[in-house]
Amino acid sequence: MNAARVIRLVFAREFKARMLTKANIVSLAIMLVVILGGTITARIIMDRSDSVPTVHIALDAAGADLTPYLATTAEQAGVELELTTMSQADARAALDGTAPTLAPLPENAAEPVPAPADTPKLEAFVGGAASSPVVIVGDPNDTRLHEIIAGALQTRALDEVVHAMGGDLSQITEALAQAQPEFEAIGKTDEQKYGPAYGVAMGGTVLLLVTLMMSAQMIAMGVVEEKASRVVEILLATIRPTQLLAGKVLGVGAYGLFQVAFLGTALTSSLVALGLVDSIPINLGWTLAHLVLWFILGYTIFALLFGAFGSLVSRQEDIGAVTTPLTLLVIGPYYLAAFLIPMQPDSMLVRILSEFPLFAPFMMPMRVALGNVPAWEIGLAVALAVAAIPGVVWVAGRMYQRGVLHMGGRLKFGDALRKSA
Amino acid sequence: MTNVAKSGLEIDALNKSYGTVRALQNCSFEVKPGEVFGFVGSNGAGKTTAMRIMLGVLAADSGEVRWKGRPLDAEARSSVGYMPEERGLYPKMKVGEQLVYLARLHGMSHGDAVAAVDRWTDRLGVAARRGDAVMKLSLGNQQRVQLAAALAHDPAILVLDEPFSSLDPVAVDVMSAVLREKADAGVPVVFSSHQLELVERICDRVGIIRSGHMEAIGTVDELRVTEHPQWRLVFDGDVKALRAWMGTVKGVRVLSASEANTATVAAEAKDIVIFEDDGTRPGVEQEVLKGAVARGAVREYALVRPSLVDLFRHIVSAEGVAA
Repeated sequence: MNAARVIRLVFAREFKARMLTKANIVSLAIMLVVILGGTITARIIMDRSDSVPTVHIALDAAGADLTPYLATTAEQAGVELELTTMSQADARAALDGTAPTLAPLPENAAEPVPAPADTPKLEAFVGGAASSPVVIVGDPNDTRLHEIIAGALQTRALDEVVHAMGGDLSQITEALAQAQPEFEAIGKTDEQKYGPAYGVAMGGTVLLLVTLMMSAQMIAMGVVEEKASRVVEILLATIRPTQLLAGKVLGVGAYGLFQVAFLGTALTSSLVALGLVDSIPINLGWTLAHLVLWFILGYTIFALLFGAFGSLVSRQEDIGAVTTPLTLLVIGPYYLAAFLIPMQPDSMLVRILSEFPLFAPFMMPMRVALGNVPAWEIGLAVALAVAAIPGVVWVAGRMYQRGVLHMGGRLKFGDALRKSA
Repeated sequence: MTNVAKSGLEIDALNKSYGTVRALQNCSFEVKPGEVFGFVGSNGAGKTTAMRIMLGVLAADSGEVRWKGRPLDAEARSSVGYMPEERGLYPKMKVGEQLVYLARLHGMSHGDAVAAVDRWTDRLGVAARRGDAVMKLSLGNQQRVQLAAALAHDPAILVLDEPFSSLDPVAVDVMSAVLREKADAGVPVVFSSHQLELVERICDRVGIIRSGHMEAIGTVDELRVTEHPQWRLVFDGDVKALRAWMGTVKGVRVLSASEANTATVAAEAKDIVIFEDDGTRPGVEQEVLKGAVARGAVREYALVRPSLVDLFRHIVSAEGVAA
């Protein structure tokens, strides 16, 4: 029978068998809920941090000259300042909570304005003469408030001294500001090295690792399931082992790609919803395209190997023993991509390693996300990976053909390669 | 094998070794269209290996399997219905879905596959379970599904490894009827079994394999023809004296109970004597009869034809002689 038709049938079965299980639908739903929940939570946190906090301080008539100093220190602390005029006794009562009023009394107001229900609470009172200021605070733990008030008092004291000496504090401040040097940096700051670009590159690489490992493990488990249930014998009485492996790799691959696309879309939508896309200084589309490209290439290579190695054993319990070396082949390049590339993105070692088909799937997208990779290097890596695939198909086909009908104990790697059954 | 173009399934001089074990040694036989061929042999004799080679699941070291005079290639194999010794279906897949999938792998269109699966599950009594996962079925029902998987794609050849094991008597009847029906439709049917009475009843021809070599092939009647026929004599008189005399007759060998064919019930009874005509003196049975009549009353005197069980035992126990 037509090989394409057989592969299509196997493909459809595999895809359906992965997709339409309760476990899969539930786990996809959970991941979707997690992403949605995360987006909403992040939105709330961001909204909150967007609004600048306000401190409410009351002054008495004697403390009124403190106003400009307080304004300066509040600005330096990054908070809004709201001042009220109040007598010390009133302020004490307000801070104590017995008088729920904090209505700013317009100067010379004829009558007090009743305080609206949502009027914010008074936080501190500063009064008394400059020589002996009186400070009352509501919350003894609010260090920011303490610093604002202490700073204002100190500046006022300093200003008085400078003034007495015939100087001008504002001139001094200006001079100091001008003496601030501009640093020209040769290296990168941590912000540049481990900033949003690194975050996106890492996130993408982790996504690649997780989906690749999951899909590859799924292949190995599928192969062993067919061996353990012995269904493989009726299958192979009808179709060729390579057709079975090809259909399986494609079916599970399509499912993996669906997951990448589904979760990737959800994550991207969430970034867009949070308005974060513009703040990431890299080309997101280009990076994502590379992730997909390298998922396909990396998956093809690793899935075939996992399928072939899976066929060496007959029981689910034994899968770990044969796939561990392969797992190291996946994790190794991943670690290099995650840790070596940010440290030395343009070193010769990185450039050479990222050309090799087993390393490229992790290292290339990382390099692409982080910066300028010459087009010829990307092209060469893709070409090498594509060129390696027929070789991998040959090795995997041979091992699988031999291994899949070998029942009982574990088939040795060498025996599997030596000769077809 | 002759050079005349054959219309059936030919298994020609298959050899297969697993390391130092020779699983098949020049194993040859032929199954004609419309014939039910019983494949018997002791455990490890090579039945399963031969069937796996026929299906291309294993490769032979040498030899060939032909269908209608041409090698049975992958193309032709998709029209074989196969039931492996190790039953195997996807445990979590639904019965109906799974059978349709397997039928389509054999080249059927979706519509035809669905219709065939409906028909065969009805026939085999598992129609009600089409929507259940295979692992929820009993062993016997799984076996029926397995048979449906071998039949649904309307195979041109049937190869069944132990199709009757673990079936209840009703299912055995259904299975036998189905095999007969397929054979009558012109399909060569090969099956292996240890239930020799069943093989004797259903099969047109039988092959007995020992140590990877086909020791005897033919219809059961052909196989029963022996150069050493056994006779059973029920005697009223001095049996001891009769036995002593018979021992002196040339060409006659009095048998002990363990040597006798199974059909010679109660061979150990005192008044029964079983003897073998070694074929050297034609007509010796008449001489024995006359001698017996002269010594007492002969109540019964009959030729005891060997059953398949006898033939099987005989061939299997010849192991030491052949080796």
